Amino acid sequence: MSRLASATAATAHQKQWFRSIQERVAAGEPLALVNADAPQEVLKAMDIPYVVNQWWASVVSAKRQADASLQVLRDRGFPDHSRQYDAISLGSTSLPPETAPWGGLPEPSIVIAETSGDAARKVFDLWAERPGVDFFPFERSSAVTAPARWWELVPHRWEEAYGSERLDLMVAEIEELVSFLEERTGRTLDVGRLRRVMDLVNEQAEWNRRTRDLLAATRPTPVAVNDTIPGVMVPQWHRGTEWAVDAARRLYEEVAELASSGAALCPDERVRLMWIGRGLWFDLDLYRRFQESHGAVFVWSMYLAIAADGYPRHGDDPVRALAARFAGFTDQLYTPPWSGEWYVKEARAHGVDGVVHLVADDVPASSFTTRALEDAGIPVLEIRADNADPRASDPDALTAAITGFIDGRLS
Amino acid sequence: MLDTGAGSDPTWWRDAVDGRRDRARERAAGGVPVVGYVGADVPGELVEAAGACPVRLSGIPGRTSAEADRLLGAAVDPAVSSVLAQLLDGDWRFLTGLVVSRDSQASLALFYVLRELRRLEPGLQLPPVHLLDLLHLPRASTTRYDAARVAQLAEVLAGWTGTAVTGDGLARAVAGARRVRSLLRDAQRLRRADRPGLSGTTALHVHGAVTAMPGAEAAERLGELLAAAAAGPALPARPRLFLTGSAQDHDRLYVAVEDEGWHVVGEDHDRGDLALTVDVPGWAGTDEIARAYQHRGPAAATSSIRAHAEWTAAEAAACRADLLLAVVREHDEAPAWDLPVQRERAAALGIGTAALLRQPYVSRTSDVRAVLATASAATRESA
Repeated sequence: MSRLASATAATAHQKQWFRSIQERVAAGEPLALVNADAPQEVLKAMDIPYVVNQWWASVVSAKRQADASLQVLRDRGFPDHSRQYDAISLGSTSLPPETAPWGGLPEPSIVIAETSGDAARKVFDLWAERPGVDFFPFERSSAVTAPARWWELVPHRWEEAYGSERLDLMVAEIEELVSFLEERTGRTLDVGRLRRVMDLVNEQAEWNRRTRDLLAATRPTPVAVNDTIPGVMVPQWHRGTEWAVDAARRLYEEVAELASSGAALCPDERVRLMWIGRGLWFDLDLYRRFQESHGAVFVWSMYLAIAADGYPRHGDDPVRALAARFAGFTDQLYTPPWSGEWYVKEARAHGVDGVVHLVADDVPASSFTTRALEDAGIPVLEIRADNADPRASDPDALTAAITGFIDGRLS
Repeated sequence: MLDTGAGSDPTWWRDAVDGRRDRARERAAGGVPVVGYVGADVPGELVEAAGACPVRLSGIPGRTSAEADRLLGAAVDPAVSSVLAQLLDGDWRFLTGLVVSRDSQASLALFYVLRELRRLEPGLQLPPVHLLDLLHLPRASTTRYDAARVAQLAEVLAGWTGTAVTGDGLARAVAGARRVRSLLRDAQRLRRADRPGLSGTTALHVHGAVTAMPGAEAAERLGELLAAAAAGPALPARPRLFLTGSAQDHDRLYVAVEDEGWHVVGEDHDRGDLALTVDVPGWAGTDEIARAYQHRGPAAATSSIRAHAEWTAAEAAACRADLLLAVVREHDEAPAWDLPVQRERAAALGIGTAALLRQPYVSRTSDVRAVLATASAATRESA
């Protein structure tokens, strides 16, 4: 099956958009580099050009320039085993122009990130060493409470989900960010514009919810997860724009058309699989490797599902609603019991027979995700994404492990 | 009953650290609520104000378990994994409660694991657990957040012990903690003297022991130690080493360094002199306590590279250190990011830097010896 046209269109749009960013910065506009879990909607509402750190890292990686980028930092004595993905963008600024992807990242004057983990902010501290670059950090508050069925709370009852203390903190930080940006760019925030941005993000999430629900209900599955990932993720980097809403709608319409026409990724679908964890970027073909041999199809990855459940935040106060989007965003995916409950809900909705769980080193207590699924009667294959488990980086070993899982527990 | 004068003997402090669980259990058996805590941000004075004896939990070399590693994940600091292993083994079942602060990702992971185990496996009989999510950016919004979290902690503690945190009780506890910090600063001066009155290893034991006993007892024992040290012979002058990197919650590294003829004159971790940067005013309520912990000295996991590096270099210079030694454990991410800038700042002050990176929970003595030998040779050459 060919790639989704909506995914191809989104990828093409990305190059065009990046050229426009380069042109705007060349004409004297400021550029912000922002981490994925920080509230980019403020930048969108203030019409400040921005690039998401993780997206640019993925471009550099795809062009096989990540190692060369990181070498610059290693040469200064910074670690080669920590926060490597976060640091690629910084290192990429030293790439020779002829090897820099897409003509290179323009120099930002503002960097924005949250202080998650122990070292996430360190990379941004280094950005701030550069002349003319200012760093705005956000706190990363923690999930003191654990409400049940968060996905039912967060669209409207987010105050219950996160608690007023976390939201008060992030509202104050967003207000401080606005002052910080106004001072540095001379632009002001129009709250009405921010409200419109929030409305557009909610519309986009609604289209993603429809797509996710449709895929959950359709047997056999009509599309590959490695096609829906770019179809969802590229528009995510443009949240709050008409284009992103249209892209999410086009994805839905294309999936709906395929579903209604009876298209099947694997007509002989016998085993439905769920992939939990980050995408396997170095071997995306893996998701389709078991179709012919076992009739086994990956029908779920977190990218579409979290785009459906994780983003909608409705409310009269757009700043507080925005705070509610980010105050506990990572809890939804990674903090037990928030995360485990959600994965079980998604597994059941998609009728999966088994789960492949890529356990990342830096995700605390992820064993409880496996346990929640197993307790719900859903078999799980854990793959540890660290150096001790070659299955995580060796395609042959990974293929063998999944084959054994399907032939064994899922047979 | 206190053993009068026992604190004058440095070995008493070592034994107090090694025996902290047994002493805590005795207290609990005697009817005193004992509240355990994990992390550098838990105000011990608040625990005492709620009528409990605070005990900071520490890792123990050799006390690990595959189950603890599995539950926490592959990339968690082994110091915290060792704490979980002890909890899973029931070592701390007598605790009235356990407060975990978010001073590091490992502490936070421990809290999430314990919360889930309490929910899913009541048979483990883990103590009640509470997260103190105290944050550190120097902003008013963080101060307000922290104040709310500390006030909530006071309520949780009162619920556990049955003793409300009142003005008088809090004032007494704060005064006691201030007295202990003042005595620890006196001990710091002895340790930093040209002819030190206190070794780095004993100083580490003292810092560890006072986090596992009531403030009044800690003050009494510290008084004994200081009196004996002032009256006794000074230690021989040795090359002076300032330690940075991962927090050391056991003494193996200090013993190995001082066995090589160095004096560990100071450190920038919260199991040592960094703990002295908490400045709770005598009139403090919960808001002021929150602010004091928010603004404590820069720790690698909760501060900027620059703030940490400048503090480390300034302290090393104040200690007249000959060498800055960084010992960074595997899976303790933050210190390795700070090191290059620490090295630059220390060099600007004429202090050389040596490093042991990606270390196990207990560094090999041969590695410590080798890095110090190389550093000594470099120092002689530059001299």
